[in-house]
Amino acid sequence: MKRISRLLLVAALAVPATACSGGDGSSGDDDDVGDDDGSADPFDQILEQREYDYNAALRIASLRLTGDLPTIAEINEISAPTDLTVKKSLYEARVTEYMTRPTFASQMYYFWRDTFKMGDTPELDTAPALAAQLSTDNGNYMNLLTQAANNCPTFVENTGVFTPAECVGNAPKAGVLTNPGAMKTYFGNFAFRRVKWIQETFDCTKFPVELNGTPQEIGAASPYTGEWPFTSIAGTDSGGRVNFLDVSAVICANCHQTMNHIAPLFANFDLDGVYQAAIAVPTPLDGAPLAELSDYLPPGEVTSYRFGQPVADIPALGAAMAADPDIAKCGVARMWNWALGKTDIVDTLQEVPLEVIQTQVDTFTADGFKLKNMIYAVYTSDDFTKF
Amino acid sequence: MKLHNLTILVASLGLTACGGVDDGTTPDDTLPPGSTAGGDDTTFDHDNSGFNPFDLLDRLAEEGPPRFTARMHSCPKVRVRTLGNVLRSLGVDMNAPGPVSAAGLYNAGYNALGGPNYTNRIRENINITTSSASREFDIFAAAADQIITNVSTLARCQVNGVGAQLFDGNACRIDGITCLIGQPAQAAHLDFCNITITSAADVDTGKRIAVAALLAAAYTCE
Repeated sequence: MKRISRLLLVAALAVPATACSGGDGSSGDDDDVGDDDGSADPFDQILEQREYDYNAALRIASLRLTGDLPTIAEINEISAPTDLTVKKSLYEARVTEYMTRPTFASQMYYFWRDTFKMGDTPELDTAPALAAQLSTDNGNYMNLLTQAANNCPTFVENTGVFTPAECVGNAPKAGVLTNPGAMKTYFGNFAFRRVKWIQETFDCTKFPVELNGTPQEIGAASPYTGEWPFTSIAGTDSGGRVNFLDVSAVICANCHQTMNHIAPLFANFDLDGVYQAAIAVPTPLDGAPLAELSDYLPPGEVTSYRFGQPVADIPALGAAMAADPDIAKCGVARMWNWALGKTDIVDTLQEVPLEVIQTQVDTFTADGFKLKNMIYAVYTSDDFTKF
Repeated sequence: MKLHNLTILVASLGLTACGGVDDGTTPDDTLPPGSTAGGDDTTFDHDNSGFNPFDLLDRLAEEGPPRFTARMHSCPKVRVRTLGNVLRSLGVDMNAPGPVSAAGLYNAGYNALGGPNYTNRIRENINITTSSASREFDIFAAAADQIITNVSTLARCQVNGVGAQLFDGNACRIDGITCLIGQPAQAAHLDFCNITITSAADVDTGKRIAVAALLAAAYTCE
């Protein structure tokens, strides 16, 4: 949600004439917007012209929540009444019923496979299975980041039954953050790919994410605006073997200020996602030697989720993430995009402004992050049922 | 349009600049601004295939701002697994042999239909592509005969034990079309279906084309 603004800023700076000619810049196509005569925003007008169509909503809800078409009896049930309030009530009851079917569990399983971009083997299916289990059991969404037991359930699709199970190995336990399959899938140098996956999946933005600091002159083409002190991450001067303070091409610290404070937490998972007693991820240096803590951080620096939020281990990281309002927003935005047929919120920048989902986010937060309730709220929202 | 013109202008200026320094020396390998691709003495290789801000601007100009688009339904393709379920629930034998049967086309069409590739950390592509749409339409064309035969016997197309019918003699029926497309059929659906039959070389061919075309229209978007 923050990333899109930065990209637009880059584009605007690259093409200043466009930015200058756009008046208030309220839309991407100013030519068609009559903003001189004080008339209402045309996009708002289109939104206001939409009408409730509970049968159209039912078809989409059925295909997404059960993976199949509604029956003709279900279609007739909604289309028969003439009273809109009755239609709404029947539609909501049917959505509730859809979410009790075993096929709903399957649909959630496949949704989370796509969200996590992993699956198809028993080992890689446990993280999607945990998320699907929380979805069908109306569990707390934040358990994905904090759950301390039974984080590797199995799922039998034709029955819709989840069987709780512990993950193999001696890793710390924190929902899917310590899932061996996820750690295996996202293995890479310095464990940065794991950090990127967690950031993009649960915060819905790519790195960099902490750029609201006071500008610091560091001898680069532009000032460094990170929230962390520039020298809070390792460089060759502090004993690291990779210079994360390099500014010759880009300011590496823009992203690495955050990444380097998180990645050591995930560095003990090896190529197979098995937790080891020591760091088990390589570096991209000649011979691919294993990373060392001094490669990430200078002496005295500690692992942290964000600036000023130290976390000693992955469970603490999960707790810090669970307390971050942006994580809840991201969870709602992902469900919103799924319901409304959008592509991935990060990969294709399908931004969901907070103003659009504020009601659902507030309810989700007040409700203890109950996942199934949130899905129901999205599928029965005005925006889902209007066309 | 304005943005495109400016982009071309900017690109032209870039070419001019490059031309101006062509003094016969070997061009240096300085990385372009913003790049995080690796050099021997600089940064390590990063993925630089991120979203192009100009593509984003084009999309915003075409579709509207996020505060608008986020509130509107998009038109994603029917997911591969869902398509299989839909075919099955319309009476298609998904184990039928033959490479050009509906089942054969579906089962061999995983990649064409944009199925996920988790080995390479790629989720299912829900954009409508030429390959996915054409494969889906081929499947519907191949499935039409079975659907026409089976609709009236399908449990999901029955009300109080009476099955919906797609055709009454040579005329289309609205209850059958409703079952086919998953929402109440309108007069326009019925007109289209009837015109397709009367326009075809023969009635049976017309019925096949009508069913396949209604399915193609209904399932272009999930």
